[in-house]
Amino acid sequence: MTLAADSVLLHHTDPVPLHKPLSEPKRRFEQLVLLHFDAAYNLARWLTRNDHDAQDVVQEAVLRAFRFFDGLRGEARPWLLSIVRNTFLTWVQINRPADTVEFDDALVEIIPTDDDGPEIQAARNFDRKMLNEAIAALPLLFREALILRELEDLSYKDIARITDVPIGTVMSRLARARRLLAESLGAPSNISGTQVHK
Amino acid sequence: MTNEEANRLLNAYIDGELDPAKSLELEAHLAENPSVRAACERLREMSAAIRDKADYHATPAWLEARVRAAIPAGPENVSARWWRWLTPVGAVATDWLRPAASFAAVALVTWVVALGTMRPGEDERITQEVLASHVRATLSNRSYDVASSDQHTVKPWLSARLAFSPPVADLSASGFELVGGRLDYIGSQPVAVLVYKRRAHLIDVFVWPIETQKSEQMSTRDGFNIEHFAKNGMGFWVVSDLNRNELDDFARLLAEQGAAL
Repeated sequence: MTLAADSVLLHHTDPVPLHKPLSEPKRRFEQLVLLHFDAAYNLARWLTRNDHDAQDVVQEAVLRAFRFFDGLRGEARPWLLSIVRNTFLTWVQINRPADTVEFDDALVEIIPTDDDGPEIQAARNFDRKMLNEAIAALPLLFREALILRELEDLSYKDIARITDVPIGTVMSRLARARRLLAESLGAPSNISGTQVHK
Repeated sequence: MTNEEANRLLNAYIDGELDPAKSLELEAHLAENPSVRAACERLREMSAAIRDKADYHATPAWLEARVRAAIPAGPENVSARWWRWLTPVGAVATDWLRPAASFAAVALVTWVVALGTMRPGEDERITQEVLASHVRATLSNRSYDVASSDQHTVKPWLSARLAFSPPVADLSASGFELVGGRLDYIGSQPVAVLVYKRRAHLIDVFVWPIETQKSEQMSTRDGFNIEHFAKNGMGFWVVSDLNRNELDDFARLLAEQGAAL
């Protein structure tokens, strides 16, 4: 047991002493926005593709959200997610400038689309690990559309607002995301790598 | 409708984003065109596979606790001053352009808070250790040594490595999915850790034989809920960032089912 190291990790952050009532904005923020902490983290994690950067981004995003809390109109979850995304974009330009090439919309346009559906192997047999790796390997604009749609179950309208593009663009990005995924998984897949016995 | 047009609409169709008139038109087309219908099915399966298998990354509870603690509790003008203090430039529009500075400041605040409120107590050693084990496993993404949703895989795996055989309950019918098990070392002895999942929340159940029948306890630490109870000579410690109500349900089911095993 490395208790010394643990106690650093497990800093006891009893947020507010009991005798001091939570201020109204903080309590409202917690009730409305922090309910969606997992959604914020999940998006940040898929955008940054690693735990450490996701932690930085989500922390920055939540604190920003609190500062702009007055600007919240409508549903809290898409609002928070748009702040996570914007925080990520700022963060990546400063910390990972090489990755910003992914934002080039021209890239979106050169992905070919065939009229016939791709030859997808029965999707239910996809290996979990390979599927996760394939999603992580998608270019940013496709990856974020896919995560917002499939994992957050958001409407095209919400995704359009969060990613700041027209609904038609959301539709084409999703179509291409799924197509790219199918292509990268379409090669004969090696199922033996999985550990999970279902 | 041409096949080309139909294929173009398939994504919006499976996402439920097509208007009713277009949907009807597309469905009529699908009925007559097996190849487009097959493409539609594959797309649906792809979507279902992503929803089923893509990782939904849960927030590490320590992170949520840290961020919550960093949110200023005072009124807005206090928070503005707080931020100005963090960033010498002081301009609201530019401070978030300096994330490195903000991150460092938040880390500093957290560290100070941590120093001020740390209170290790000898009597809480077990609670500390199970919590530490849970956080460490979550942090390192290494929650289990054996990954299986099958109790008949997890139990023998653990039994083979321990001097006792932990009860492994199947609670999937109640929405608590078994995802695996691991070994750990708590209170100077090897123990079994059963890992369950509820939505994106991992639940660690630490099990080992105990002699004294201790009373039930529950507590909350750093945003984690912790429950302890004993049944049939086994002590159970349950740790999760799941909310208290659901974790109570889980502990109750575990006590009932664990007793039957």
